[in-house]
Amino acid sequence: MNASILYVDLTSGQSRVERDEALFREFMGGTAVATELLFRHGDPKGDALAPEAPVIFAIGPFNALLPVATKTVSLFMSPLSGELGESHAGGRLSMALRDAGIDALVITGRAKAPSYLTIENETVAVKSAATFWGQSALATDRILREAESRSGRKVSILRIGPAGERLSPIACATVDGSRHFGRLGLGAVLGSKNLKAIVASGTRTPPIARPKEYKAVYDTLYDRVVRSKEMKKYHDLGTSSNIVPLSLIRGLPTRNFTQGHFEGAEAISGERFAKDFLVQHTACAHCQCGCIHMAELREEFAPYHYSTNRISYDYELLYAMGSMLSLSNPEDILRLLLFTEKQGWDVISLGGTLAWATESFLRGTLSADATEGLTLSFGDGATYMAVLERIARGQGEFYRDLERGSAWCSEKWGGTDWAIHYGRVEPGGYMTGENFAVTSLMGVRHSHLDDSGYSADQKLLNAPKPVEDQVKDQVRDARWRMVMNSLIVCLFARGVYDETVILQGLDALGLSWDGPGLEKLGERALARKYEWKRLCGFDPEAVRMPEKMYSVQTSTGMIGRESLARRLALYREHTGLQDGKTPR
Amino acid sequence: MGVKYLRVVNRDRCIGCFSCMYACSRMVRNSMGSGKASMRVRSYAGLEGAFSIRVCARCAHPDCASACPTGALITAPGGGVRLDKDLCISCKTCVKACAISALQWDEEEKQPLPCIHCGQCVRYCPNDVLALVEDGGTEATPS
Ligand code: SF4
Ligand code: SF4
Repeated sequence: MNASILYVDLTSGQSRVERDEALFREFMGGTAVATELLFRHGDPKGDALAPEAPVIFAIGPFNALLPVATKTVSLFMSPLSGELGESHAGGRLSMALRDAGIDALVITGRAKAPSYLTIENETVAVKSAATFWGQSALATDRILREAESRSGRKVSILRIGPAGERLSPIACATVDGSRHFGRLGLGAVLGSKNLKAIVASGTRTPPIARPKEYKAVYDTLYDRVVRSKEMKKYHDLGTSSNIVPLSLIRGLPTRNFTQGHFEGAEAISGERFAKDFLVQHTACAHCQCGCIHMAELREEFAPYHYSTNRISYDYELLYAMGSMLSLSNPEDILRLLLFTEKQGWDVISLGGTLAWATESFLRGTLSADATEGLTLSFGDGATYMAVLERIARGQGEFYRDLERGSAWCSEKWGGTDWAIHYGRVEPGGYMTGENFAVTSLMGVRHSHLDDSGYSADQKLLNAPKPVEDQVKDQVRDARWRMVMNSLIVCLFARGVYDETVILQGLDALGLSWDGPGLEKLGERALARKYEWKRLCGFDPEAVRMPEKMYSVQTSTGMIGRESLARRLALYREHTGLQDGKTPR
Repeated sequence: MGVKYLRVVNRDRCIGCFSCMYACSRMVRNSMGSGKASMRVRSYAGLEGAFSIRVCARCAHPDCASACPTGALITAPGGGVRLDKDLCISCKTCVKACAISALQWDEEEKQPLPCIHCGQCVRYCPNDVLALVEDGGTEATPS
């Protein structure tokens, strides 16, 4: 590692590189380093969209060097949750940052006019985005890939769509081909900085301490990635292979978490998409698994005239725009996903908000006056499309509000009981039971990826386990994921990266870590995040379930108030968060 | 054993992972990025999943060698070129002469990176996009 941090101040247009070897030695990289940078440069009480609010990107020691170490982490103040904003994306960004010799990037300030940032090795420039401000996330990629092409070199392009420009707190930032910093509103934060895009590339190659050992670890991992069962499911059908099994165990959220069985599951299954819509797999740079599934949507726009678009899909997208809205026609879903991709919204938050709106309309708390004539119904794809178009045009108060997420909308328009969000963040697609509830409530980014709660629930169906052990496992897993996210390895490869191979890899790179050191890193990184969250106002004692979730069946039955409270208390105890203490 | 030719045999199976480029840099040039690879995987903006893989055609009469003003690129037996580093004046004429943009440039050394048709990239392609073949017919290379 270079331990190089690039600081860019958009207000002045100035940038500088600083080296901080101590920081990277202690915190490795990725999410652990980014958290420390957030402590240094962020204000936990500050406005997420203020010019001085920092956006931090970081990679770790394995990025671009070992198979499937493809992620970049971004930390920021979330305009959606009002506290820790954290999102991860693949694509080519970590490769490009490595090529540029940058381990972390800290962006502050606000450009005077729409701009984009280019990073080419140590050369940084802030350029005008006046001509393409307002363009979709897809068009922006086309424009910049040509404008900023570097012969024979790989360039990574991160950009926001119009949703980010409008400062929607559910706006994402899109990276290269269909990868996203999806959750928690990074798009709005970049929009507030007048920053349309970041283009990164470089020509550097890091020296390797022990090339022979490095190649040996590489080969071990390569063989596991290409041959192991663990990655095969991502490589073949992809995560959407979970649609049918989850529906079968009543764990696929349907019609705003009313039930976990979706009668249209077969119709939107991974198998169905593979048969009728899948045209290609693509990969993040240096991932031989290639889990990105591209569907093709061919539509007749006039007699005998067709438009064809490619749209990526996976489990979470099919849940958010499929079962949540009771849409079982893949073409309806793909149309909504394409529009979402262009606008640059986070699909999970948008789908959750649309589902809340539909339930509100059906219950009568939301009137046809409010929706200005649109009649929302589950299963009505055409109307959902009209809704998205109105949001994009800012047509009407209700539609302008919808892109602020379900928490905000329900506080203004009513229906808080069935606004399904955890800490103001719409959840991933699991209705599996209490483990997942704990993940969503207590996870540092309120994401289904914070720990393996949804999978723990599913395992309970076959093998019961004492509650305390379940909670302990969750905490252990949350900490271990801090290590993965500091390296940064894609979580889909968590099965192939065991502790032994991680230590071999670090050793080959000349970084001295041992088992207890990794464990301590995970524990510390998690604790530091909770410390930050607390400073932002997160109270681990006051987390609240969406009321509706106490009255619906999950895969493992009803969620009990007392039993959940007990789990939460155990979680606080095992993370050291009890009695208002911040863990050290 | 006959002369081996690196060929693109299944272009449309490429997932754009760049594993091949990393493999060439790592195994042939001992460099841990992807920039020193003797081949390129190109992608096209806006066309998800359209990859074009450019590998050395191992020409019998290589345009790159003919273009070199100092004779630094020497045609190898069986086609293709090897570089005499001492003769190279870093003018990049060879790279420009390769119409299929297969010949790559070493940005650090300021010299071309001719492919040696060793097959390391083949070994690390997860999808059998590349192959080493004995019959070097270019019709087998729809890159
Ligand atoms: S055949 Fe060998 S030298 Fe040629 S591109 Fe592949 S790995 Fe590189
Ligand atoms: S390794 Fe194979 S699949 Fe990956 S980019 Fe190279 S040719 Fe394409």
